[in-house]
Amino acid sequence: MEDVLNEICSSEDLKTFELRYNEEMCQGEVSSTTQFEYACFLVRSRYPADIQRGVVLLEELYKRPDETGKRDYVFYLAIGNARLKEYQLALNYVKGLLRIEPANRQVLELEKLIKKRMEKDAMKGAAIAGGAILGLGALVGLGVALAKKH
Amino acid sequence: MADSDVLTTLKILIIGESGVGKSSLLLRFTDDTFDPEQSATIGVDFKVKTITVEGNCTKLAIWDTAGQERFRTLTPSYYRGAQGVILVYDVTNRNTFAKLDMWLNELDTYSTKTDIVKMLVGNKIDKEKREVSREEGLNFARRHTMLFIEASAKTKDGVQCAFEELVQKIIQTPGLWEMDQRSQGGFSLSNQTTEREGWCAYC
Repeated sequence: MEDVLNEICSSEDLKTFELRYNEEMCQGEVSSTTQFEYACFLVRSRYPADIQRGVVLLEELYKRPDETGKRDYVFYLAIGNARLKEYQLALNYVKGLLRIEPANRQVLELEKLIKKRMEKDAMKGAAIAGGAILGLGALVGLGVALAKKH
Repeated sequence: MADSDVLTTLKILIIGESGVGKSSLLLRFTDDTFDPEQSATIGVDFKVKTITVEGNCTKLAIWDTAGQERFRTLTPSYYRGAQGVILVYDVTNRNTFAKLDMWLNELDTYSTKTDIVKMLVGNKIDKEKREVSREEGLNFARRHTMLFIEASAKTKDGVQCAFEELVQKIIQTPGLWEMDQRSQGGFSLSNQTTEREGWCAYC
């Protein structure tokens, strides 16, 4: 089932907004709107390199003075980082948002989703590690058995 | 509920001007809650709900889009593959009604399914200063072959019904969803679609 952390945008859409961004870049100045739009598609890309680039563009936007869209940048920074498996960083952004809007349901749900993702990944990690130990144990057992035989 | 009991998963969109109550309608439907201080949606919000309509158990993946101007170019990318759309206006704000044409245009431009089922919802009927009459809403819906209902996310009026009617109509249009059940495409079931006009709900 899709959700905001695994939903993927089409590469055509991404290309459209990349083109717009590059055009403005060539003219010397990229508007916040164009950069934000491009970044939003980048963080929804299937490729981590794109997501990473989206995160960098959002960080840059956040540093610009007098930005009205800071809340939106931070929200997408949380999504981008979560998709890169930078869960702690993602949760920090969420925490920042909740400090200003403690009851924001959309943000609270994103937090839940990130934590769930984090747990799932930790379990996967544990399973792999467990599997490796089992494998090692079997190998040692085999070695012992072979040694006894000789 | 086991996934095997689910007839199909449907993608539903909620669109409309900022502040008309899209998220509030969704929350009333999915969680049966109402927050008068609901903050503006960032980008899109997403919720899943399973409902049973006429014995058919259906999973709904609902994408609630931001109405704010700054997200106008981002939200159409979520239209792809949607089988149903809920187009919302605020009965106490004529401007949100006047903008419906623009939203329908946008839908025609970006939705990938030509026979996508549309439900028009006039929200906030609990409020006193009404600017759009029920008749106007109904006429607009008729003109654009949409289902229609007036609702209040605050009082629950019409909310459940809006989603149920929409799902029912989608299920009655097999070409819309049965294709997704099969791995291969290439054939059309659209000839099974019956009655194309007079789609109006009066509940």
